[in-house]
Amino acid sequence: MKRLRIEELLQRNVWDVGKKPHIEINMDACGSCESKLCVKLCPAGCYTVVDGKVLFSYEGCLECGTCRTVCPQGAVKWSYPRSGKGVYYRFT
Amino acid sequence: MVRVVVGIKWVPNTQAVRFDPKTGTLMREGVPSIINPPDLSAVEFALKIKERYGGEAIAITMAPPSAVKGLEHVLGMGVDRAVLISDRAFAGADTLATSYVLAEAIKKISRDVGKVDLAVFGQETIDSSTAHIPAQTASWLRWPYVYYVTDLEIKDDKVVVSRVLEDRVEKYELELPSVISVFMESIEARDVRLLHKLRAKIEKPIVVWSNKELKLDPRCIGLKGSPTMVSKITWTLEVPRKKIVYKPKDPEDAARWLISMLLKDEKTSKIFKWVVGG
Amino acid sequence: MIKSNTTFPTKFDAIVVGAGPAGAASAYVLSKKGFKVLLVDRSREAGSKELYGGRIYLGPLKEVWPDLDKKAPIHRWIKKERASIMGKDGRIITIEYNAGRRTSFTAYLPELVRWMVSKAEEEGTIFVDEVVVDELLTSDGKVVGIRSGPDEIRSDVVIDAEGVNRLLLEKLGLVSGPRPEELALGIKEVLKVRKNEINAQFNVDDDEGVAWILMGDITLGIPGGGFIYTFNETISIGIVIHMANAIRAAEAGAINHSFELVENLRLHPYFNKLWKSSDVIEYGAHLTIEDGLSFMPKRLVYPGLLIVGDAAGLILNTGYTVRGVDFAVYSGKLAAEAVEKALSEKEGATEENLKVYEDMVRKSFMYNELKRHRASKELMKDPEFFTKISRIPLKFFSELYEIDKEVPTAYEAFKNACRSEDSGPLSLMFKLWGMVKKL
Repeated sequence: MKRLRIEELLQRNVWDVGKKPHIEINMDACGSCESKLCVKLCPAGCYTVVDGKVLFSYEGCLECGTCRTVCPQGAVKWSYPRSGKGVYYRFT
Repeated sequence: MVRVVVGIKWVPNTQAVRFDPKTGTLMREGVPSIINPPDLSAVEFALKIKERYGGEAIAITMAPPSAVKGLEHVLGMGVDRAVLISDRAFAGADTLATSYVLAEAIKKISRDVGKVDLAVFGQETIDSSTAHIPAQTASWLRWPYVYYVTDLEIKDDKVVVSRVLEDRVEKYELELPSVISVFMESIEARDVRLLHKLRAKIEKPIVVWSNKELKLDPRCIGLKGSPTMVSKITWTLEVPRKKIVYKPKDPEDAARWLISMLLKDEKTSKIFKWVVGG
Repeated sequence: MIKSNTTFPTKFDAIVVGAGPAGAASAYVLSKKGFKVLLVDRSREAGSKELYGGRIYLGPLKEVWPDLDKKAPIHRWIKKERASIMGKDGRIITIEYNAGRRTSFTAYLPELVRWMVSKAEEEGTIFVDEVVVDELLTSDGKVVGIRSGPDEIRSDVVIDAEGVNRLLLEKLGLVSGPRPEELALGIKEVLKVRKNEINAQFNVDDDEGVAWILMGDITLGIPGGGFIYTFNETISIGIVIHMANAIRAAEAGAINHSFELVENLRLHPYFNKLWKSSDVIEYGAHLTIEDGLSFMPKRLVYPGLLIVGDAAGLILNTGYTVRGVDFAVYSGKLAAEAVEKALSEKEGATEENLKVYEDMVRKSFMYNELKRHRASKELMKDPEFFTKISRIPLKFFSELYEIDKEVPTAYEAFKNACRSEDSGPLSLMFKLWGMVKKL
C-alpha cells in the first residue's frame, strides 16, 4: 500500500468542472495573511504556497466550506458551482 | 425566424472512466454520463441564433432513456423542446448508422414541426473524437456543411458562416438549410436557469421516437447498419508533471525559456525539431 | 426568453431549498398532504453532493417512510459496534459490542437521498436540480420566495434545508458567518473491497455491518476522531476534527495537510490488513456540526420561513454516537406538519402560525437529546480529554500485559498509569468521574 497524493485522491472522484470559478479570493486581504490556514486545512489541497503567496485553484474543490470557516482575513467569497458542475459523489 | 436543430451526445464522463491495464478494458461502473462538452458550445450557439433571429431551438439526441437528464439540462439553458431517439434497435451504432438516424429524425422534424433551417453540432465528442457525425448527417441530408464555425449571419435563404483555421478566418456563403459544427473553444455555454428548468420539469417538452415513429430499414440502423470494427483499445502512460515554475519578464522571455526547456529534454526536443522542421 | 405569460405555475404553496434528507422529507410529506411543492437543489442529480460518515438510525426515518427498511437502498445493518482508543506507539484498546437488534444501517447517502427525492416526486413534488438558489426573497419582513440568477419564484412558505453552509440565512442576517468553535471537518475515503473479504475480515454476514469509532492518536490528538463503516462492497474510512482545535494545531505546526490524516488511517498497520487489496474509489469532505445547540439559529421560524436539518443545527455528536440524517428527516417531517397547520389557518404562514414547528422541535426527542448530551460537547472539544485521559488506559493495559518477569497487580498498573500523566489515582478518579458524568 502506498500513500496517495492529494491529486491522486481527487482523481478517484467524478468531476464535471465548470469554466468559471465559484470561489473568489480577495488577493489583497490574502496577501497579508501570516497563518495561511487554508493551505493546511483545505481537504482538497486547493490552496498552495508558491513563492510565499497563496495560489488558489477551484477545480478540485469538494465544496465543503472549510476555507470560508478558517480564513482569518475574510478573504474567501464562497459560493457553489452553478449548473450542476463540480464534484459528483456516488458512494459517500 | 429560424428553426435550429442542435445535436447532442450523451457520453460517459471520460474523466471518470479508468482503464484497467490488466484486462485492457474500460472501467465504467458507476460512471455517470454527461453531455459531450463541445456539444454545450453548440447549444449555446443555437440559442444565440434563436435570440438574434427569433424562432426555436430543438435539441436531438440518440441515446438510452437516461439521456432525458441531459435533455433537461439543455432545456434548462433555454432550448425550446427536445427529441430523444431511443430504441434498442438503434443500439451499437457506429457514426454511419447514427448519422443516418439523425438525418432521418431531422427530416421528420421538418415534416412534423416545420422546416428546419440549420442543424448545429459540436466539433467532436470526448468519447471517440471522430468528428464524423455532422459531416455524415449533412451528406445524408444533402445539405452543405462547414466545420469549426465561430459565427454566422443569415440573409434571406442564405447564411454566411465564419470558420477559424489556425492562421486565418474564412467566410463561406451557404444555401439554407445547412449543417455546421461549432468550434469548441469559441463559445462558453450559459448556465441553467431556474425558470427554464422548472418549465422542463412541468411541461416535459421531450418527445421520444423509437423506430416505430422513424420507420427506418433495420439493415441500416444499429449494429447491423454499422460497418466499423473496433479491433483494439490501448492506452498511453501518464507523463508525470515536472512541476517547474518559471516567472518570465514578458511573453518573449517566456517563449525563449520554454523552447530552451523543450530542447533540453531528449524526447521533447525530437518532437519539437520535427514540428518546426529541423 | 420565457415570457411573463407562461402557462406553467410559478407560485407554489411551499418551496424547499436543498434536497438533502431534511429537504426531501419535508417535500415528500407536504406533497403527500396535497400541497404544491417545489424542491430545488444545486446537484447534477439528486444526492450527488451528499456526504456523511456512514450510519443512519432507522426509527425516525420509518415515521416518514414506513417501508424504507424494505424498499430503500440499504447496504448493511449495524451488528457490531467497535470503539478504539489509539496511542502513538501502536498500542490500541478496542472494545466490541455485538448488537441484539437492528436499529441502524449503512447506505450510500447519494443513493438514499435519490430514493427519498424519487418518493417525493411520486407524490407530486416538482424537483428542479442543477440550480443554485442565490437569495430568499422578502417583502414586508416576510419570506415570499426564492431568487436564482434573474429568476424569481414565489411561495406561501419557504423551507430552508440548505445544510451546514448557511449562505442564504447569512445573507438574510438571521445567522452569523461560520464559527470554527461550532464546526468540525469530516474527510473520508471510500475503499473498494470484495464482499466476501469484508465479511471475513469483520466477521459478519452479507447484510451485517460494523460501525467503528476511533479516538486518540488517529487525529494527532486534535479533538475529534476517526470512523470505519462497512458497506456492501466498500468500506468508508474517515476522520473528523474539531475546527477550532484544528486551527490551533495548524498554527502550532502540528498538522501540515488535513488530508494526510485519512491516509494515515488507511495505511495504519493496525487497520490496513482489513482492506489489504482495496482501491480508493472516492474521496470527499464535508463540514459537520460539533455543537448543535450553539449552532442552532435563535429561532427556527420566521414569517414565511422554516429552518430544518443541518441548517437548524440538528446534529447530535456524543463522541460515541453521531446522528444527523435521522434528525434531518425528522425535522423535515415536523416542518411539513407545521406548514400544513399554518396554511389551513386564515392568515397563512405567519410567524405566529408557523411557531408550532419551533414548539414541536423543542418538545421532540431531538432537542431533548441535544440538551441531555450538551455537557459531552465540552468534552469533545477538550484536547486534554483526547490526549491525556485516553493515554491512561493505554498505559494501564501496557503495564498489565506487556510483561517480562513480574506481573503487576491491577492497582499497581493503574497507579503507574496515573503517575505517567502526573496524576494521583484519587485526583484522576475525580477527574474521570467528572468527565464520565458529561458523557
